[in-house]
Amino acid sequence: MPHKDKFQLFLFFEDYKIYEDDCVNKNDTSTKGDGALFNNADTKPPEDGQILIVTVSSDRGLCGGIHSSVSKHSRKVAQENPNSQIVVLGDKAKAQISRTVREKIKLSFNQIGKSVPTYAEASAVADTILKEKIEFDQAVIIYNYFRSVISYEAESIPVYSETTFTRSGNFDAYEIEDDVLENLKEFAFANSIYWGLVEGHASEMASKRSAMENATKNAGEMIDKLTLTYNRGRQAVITNELSMCLK
Amino acid sequence: MDLHIISILATRFYATEATTNSLKFSFALPHQTIYQSAEVQQVNIASTSGDMGILANHVPSIEQLKPGVIEIVENATTTKKFFVSGGFAIINSNSSLDINAVEAFPLEDFSVE
Repeated sequence: MPHKDKFQLFLFFEDYKIYEDDCVNKNDTSTKGDGALFNNADTKPPEDGQILIVTVSSDRGLCGGIHSSVSKHSRKVAQENPNSQIVVLGDKAKAQISRTVREKIKLSFNQIGKSVPTYAEASAVADTILKEKIEFDQAVIIYNYFRSVISYEAESIPVYSETTFTRSGNFDAYEIEDDVLENLKEFAFANSIYWGLVEGHASEMASKRSAMENATKNAGEMIDKLTLTYNRGRQAVITNELSMCLK
Repeated sequence: MDLHIISILATRFYATEATTNSLKFSFALPHQTIYQSAEVQQVNIASTSGDMGILANHVPSIEQLKPGVIEIVENATTTKKFFVSGGFAIINSNSSLDINAVEAFPLEDFSVE
């Protein structure tokens, strides 16, 4: 006889969610520090500049609409900017994006999302992208913003190249040495990718949890219905056999 | 007259605009925030262009940090030191200092070995 416990909700997801929340909150400050710099310097990308779209997702399924949300947003940005190229993190997102804008994909990464993202992973990704020497005036990192346990939304983080940054409005206010600028760009890029990875991971875990919860509920209902049907059938057979004997 | 409202929970103070005499200091690592808009007096950093001390109303600049010790003088009695592996210090015109480091540990966590 089927047993409800077989489909028990994995409670460790609860602990995971709290841990993910911590990761997301703590990383916010780091990237917002850089964000504040770009705000204060009044950095704006040129109108027809080259845009690099970095889509952050993961390799695994069973997480609801996570991959489609990021892919749809990337597709929209790619269509608005004909001068754009795409780098994808995660096989599932790559599959979705390949369906429409395959020619724009320059690089893709996999083995993403198996465990909590580390800063080392983010800097390896940033390093590889920069080594490819893809020209861009602005990079846009598209990830799933973790709004709450039941909702997420595709959002983007802008990252500016050195040339865009040096052309900022208030750039002259800052004293800066020449080689520091390039390092700052790489650092900000790695930071933003890390932010995208961590929030994407948190959203994905939350979405998996609620998908699992729904599956459990549906399976539970099905078990109840089938149990009733089974019992009715069993009773009907017994009644028939009894009535044969009594005849 | 400046109005200071002291929060009970953390070392956060609300203050007025750029004419304050303390530095708004944020110190963040990728996975942890050590200081968030805390009011401190002075921060000494080891940057690639030399060791420097940052006080309020410092000239805005962007400095890359060498691996070394960052000393935070919160007030006349409290000083905290951290060892950082590297990162950036960004001083904005509104007397705020953001330090983003990759790794940082308080000096007390190190043993002589």
